[in-house]
Amino acid sequence: MEITLIQGLLLMLVGFICALDAGLEVLYWFRPMVVSFFAGIVLGDVTLGVACGAVAELSYLGLLTVGGTVPPDPLMAGMMTTVIAYTTGQDAKTALGLSLPFALLAQWLGIFFNTVYVGIAHKCDDYAEKGDTQGFTRLVITGWLVKALTVAVLVFLCSYAMQGPIQSFVNAFPIWLIHGFEVAGGILPAVGLGLLLMVTLNKDNAPYLFLGLIMATFLDMPNVLPIAIVGVSLAYINYMHEKKVDEASAKITVSDFGGDSDGI
Amino acid sequence: MESNVKRGKLTKQDITKMSLLSSLEQASFSFERMQAPGFTLSMLPAFKKIYGESKEDLSEFMKYNMEFINTEPHMATFLMGLILSMEESGEDRKLIEGIRNGLFGPFAGLGDAIFWFTVLPISAAICCSLAQDGSVLGPLLYIAIWLVAAISRIWFGQFGYKIGVKAVSTISESTKYITKAAGILGVMVVGGLIPSYISFAFSESLKFGMGDGTTVQSVFDNILPNILPLGIVFLIYWLFKKKNANVLVIIIGIILFGILMSFLGWM
Repeated sequence: MEITLIQGLLLMLVGFICALDAGLEVLYWFRPMVVSFFAGIVLGDVTLGVACGAVAELSYLGLLTVGGTVPPDPLMAGMMTTVIAYTTGQDAKTALGLSLPFALLAQWLGIFFNTVYVGIAHKCDDYAEKGDTQGFTRLVITGWLVKALTVAVLVFLCSYAMQGPIQSFVNAFPIWLIHGFEVAGGILPAVGLGLLLMVTLNKDNAPYLFLGLIMATFLDMPNVLPIAIVGVSLAYINYMHEKKVDEASAKITVSDFGGDSDGI
Repeated sequence: MESNVKRGKLTKQDITKMSLLSSLEQASFSFERMQAPGFTLSMLPAFKKIYGESKEDLSEFMKYNMEFINTEPHMATFLMGLILSMEESGEDRKLIEGIRNGLFGPFAGLGDAIFWFTVLPISAAICCSLAQDGSVLGPLLYIAIWLVAAISRIWFGQFGYKIGVKAVSTISESTKYITKAAGILGVMVVGGLIPSYISFAFSESLKFGMGDGTTVQSVFDNILPNILPLGIVFLIYWLFKKKNANVLVIIIGIILFGILMSFLGWM
């Protein structure tokens, strides 16, 4: 289906609001789950937006901004997965695979800003030298707004202006190629989960991964909440146990120390 | 040691205001100083209440806070509260600066463990299972969860202001336990997510031999259902951890793999 100019402008507004949040990470409205939902509302197909959000959210789970790194952009992924699914009529998983170039484009934009804004930090130093809080505040807020506005323009260009080319490009694909993107879209959440494990998994907590896997494989559960509750319980049991062990070993060292000083 | 500057006293409201203003903590983020501009900005009104318009104190305060900082945005208010309580009691700025620079790293680790590695996967998992059928409850619940998380920064701010410097060692002690507990929970949830959210199975028509041979997929299913999704997660984990693989290369690799499998008719 076609995106009208009004819808294009509204998508730009959604892009702006979510990009303002992406700059701050306060409300998590920059996550695909929320961006796709809003985009779905604008396009008049909320069900599609929600379904696209669910697929994209998981693939971008482990792609974290931790430590100041810039991953492929989740906002643009959520936006373009919905836009591509809507304009080309493809399934959400296929659209997720096709949205990657746009997520990369936004990632490069993010890296560009993070580099250029070194200049803002230096200008902030000047204001700090003078104790000028007004100038300081104005500059930091301007930097934040300009970045969000640029992302919004990019959203408009990718969704409204590019829809014709995207549509004819995708329509020219043979069926096996489209299905290939769908297969890939089904595997992509493994990247998010693999990255997540890279920072959380260690030899102490590895058994819990298998407990979760086996529960999800063999128990019929509507969602992952029961596993989370078992997880909280096990984490608490482990905490109590470790605390006891630590306290016991602390006691031993203290009494050892006491014994030594008595001896002297 | 007691300076004769008259210092204002901060109220609970001031800390709440500071915590709300801390929403701007990541504004104008850059690779060099990272969150320093937003971190400084968040504390300015409260600092002004303590020291008035004294340009000299303001400049000194802004300068040491403009040093590099990168911490977890929700928990940054804890540090801000701590810094302001020390400024209020007139502690030596060298000491405050040392505590600021020494604590933001541990707090980044703790905050990431709680918010990125625990709250995010769990909220995403629950909301995605609601959203997969197209229910708006998914995104609405997601928005609600993160709104509560956003409000938690007020609590962290109050806590940091109240607790003072003396309790810092106790906190870094319990940080160890919390990070560990968050790790257990996070890893277990990831285990639970693997079967439901990764679709990775061979096509029913792919069989060993001709005619009614057993399907390839049934062989894997007989070993352990979901062994293929688990395997692919471990493969990716291994590529990242041991081979330092680039995320982009892996994503493109998966897309090419999907296209190849589809072309061969195997998936």
